[in-house]
Amino acid sequence: MSALKLLPQLLAWTALAVVLLRGCTERRRLTAFACAAGFVTGVLGIAFLARSLPATPYGVVRSLLGGSFLVLWVVSVAALYRSTGRGGSAVASARLPARSLAIGSLSFFFALTAGGICACRLPAAGGDLLPLLAPLALVLAGLALLVGALAVERRLPASLTVNFPGLLAALVALLLFSSASLLRLDLFSPLSMKVMKGTHDFVHQFMESILIPDHIFVRPAIWGYIGFLFGKEVGFWGGMVIWFTPVLLVLLAIRFELLPKVSHIRQGALRRKLLAAAMRERNLRMVIPALSLVVFAAAAYQSCYPSVEYWDPKPVLVSADAAGEILLAKKGGDLNLEDGKLHKYLYRQGGHEARFFVLLTPTGKLTVDLDACAICKPDGYGQAEGTVICYYCKTLIPLDTVGKPGGCNPVPIAFTDKNDAVHINAVTLMNEWTRTVQSTTKKEGGK
Amino acid sequence: MSASTIETKALSRSYGDICALKPIDLVVPEGEWLSVMGHSGSGKSTLMNLVGGLDRPSSGSLKVGGEDLLALSEDGLARFRREFVGIIFQQHHLVPYLSAVENVMLAQYFHSTPDEAEARLALERVGLGHRLRNRPGELSGGEQQRVCIARAIINSPKLLLGDEPTGNLDHKSTIMVMELLKELRAEERFTVVMVTHNQEVAAWGDRTIYLDDGVLVREERLRS
Repeated sequence: MSALKLLPQLLAWTALAVVLLRGCTERRRLTAFACAAGFVTGVLGIAFLARSLPATPYGVVRSLLGGSFLVLWVVSVAALYRSTGRGGSAVASARLPARSLAIGSLSFFFALTAGGICACRLPAAGGDLLPLLAPLALVLAGLALLVGALAVERRLPASLTVNFPGLLAALVALLLFSSASLLRLDLFSPLSMKVMKGTHDFVHQFMESILIPDHIFVRPAIWGYIGFLFGKEVGFWGGMVIWFTPVLLVLLAIRFELLPKVSHIRQGALRRKLLAAAMRERNLRMVIPALSLVVFAAAAYQSCYPSVEYWDPKPVLVSADAAGEILLAKKGGDLNLEDGKLHKYLYRQGGHEARFFVLLTPTGKLTVDLDACAICKPDGYGQAEGTVICYYCKTLIPLDTVGKPGGCNPVPIAFTDKNDAVHINAVTLMNEWTRTVQSTTKKEGGK
Repeated sequence: MSASTIETKALSRSYGDICALKPIDLVVPEGEWLSVMGHSGSGKSTLMNLVGGLDRPSSGSLKVGGEDLLALSEDGLARFRREFVGIIFQQHHLVPYLSAVENVMLAQYFHSTPDEAEARLALERVGLGHRLRNRPGELSGGEQQRVCIARAIINSPKLLLGDEPTGNLDHKSTIMVMELLKELRAEERFTVVMVTHNQEVAAWGDRTIYLDDGVLVREERLRS
């Protein structure tokens, strides 16, 4: 089952190797060797770090991913600039560096990152044997797939070429697709969130600077716009723009490449033949970046609709006793509030309702929190991979920080733990819920 | 002696039991104008279709421009036709809803990429500079045939094939078309194979071969 979970990563690795080999056809052997070395280093490196450190080093892989995405942005802008003919010949400057060191480093880096992503997908260490066997099996599978990639690449038509920006776009797309199914490596959701929060901060700045008119006649209209700006959609579409722009720039750069000068050729047929060949070559060079556009879209989709199975139990309806307290027994039947899983509840009173959950954090602290935070719409939380995730903004909150207030953390509720039961004041709960939900929905323009 | 454009050895073509062209040996040197004469059903068009790569022989060997046509795949044959051959038909085969210049550009499109300025020049060369935007239905038979000539030569072919190109034209237009072809051939130096059963038209060539029931029966050299 764990091996099946690695399928997208292994497929992406194979495609990455094919693209790299096609991009560096002049140094195929070197590329294959660098790919193998990079993948093995990536897998074993992450496996070693995971054994040495208390947790899997997602941050390292995430930095590599973020870095390569930034580099793609820079390269795509430069490619578009050069395609105008200002920075020398666009075709010449977009060619891959033919030096062995450059090709080797490029192949090694991307294979290393791909290997790292695959290693992050491995099951957590459960004994002494698994942490050794699983990476070794992954290395063998990766090398076998590399051999397959070599065979596939040789069968591709020779006319299907790729320039450096196109190659980079394809490699980054495959890495992002590979990482999108891992919650803590995914870049698209955090990117959307950054855009959303950036918009929030921007609007706040304006409000604090009193640049937004606050007059009774314009207030409803202004709040309508602000409500729109505070919506999830702004973050999503902003994220989409940042996500897809570099590959679109690469495609435009190829499209705008100047064709060879043929005006000196006397015979019209020969002149047109050369032009047609150049245009055909240019169009074929767009194939791989165009396919990476699809891979980018797949990565974004994977991020928005992850295949991760969240633990999200249906809230259990509870009521308060005569003293106004909600009593939850810690243990009873199949129930165990201290099993480290989310236990969701729903409390109704006078036409109002409040959702909350009880959770035992990995540090052994029992916590009661609203199924909502002070920032987002109350879409609630799910639990997966040592975190809870805010369904609205896709922020991952480590389990050991649940119970602490602030940011996108669930809003903690005061409770007492006595006689093997959790005691929650119903009025406090309802007030806290109402206050939180009112403040977050106001930002949404009353949605 | 110049290199040969067309070289056939025991070239034949049968359609079922009917042998349209019996084994024929033929050499056409580069730049020669060969007229092919014969009655209807004598195998003239079959021979032209074979050397133009429009049909495949049943047996024998066929080399055109040094290329062994029997060894070419369908794609290879299409490339050969695109780059090596220009054809003028009796029935013109112009696209009726395209203008004269667009008909010429269509040939450019299938060869490589269209270039209107060049297509316009080609039509001016055949004396149709004033008829660029007219559709075939608005042109006389002679003018239509001149559009066909412009279309045939636009891709600088090494071999120009004519299948009764003047069959539908009156005497005056025939002379005009033949003079134009002679002029163009002198400039472009392509080889011409022209199928006709008009003795007067055949006389424009350097050599005439006579086919009868698929057999080469006679050969006549008019000029060297």
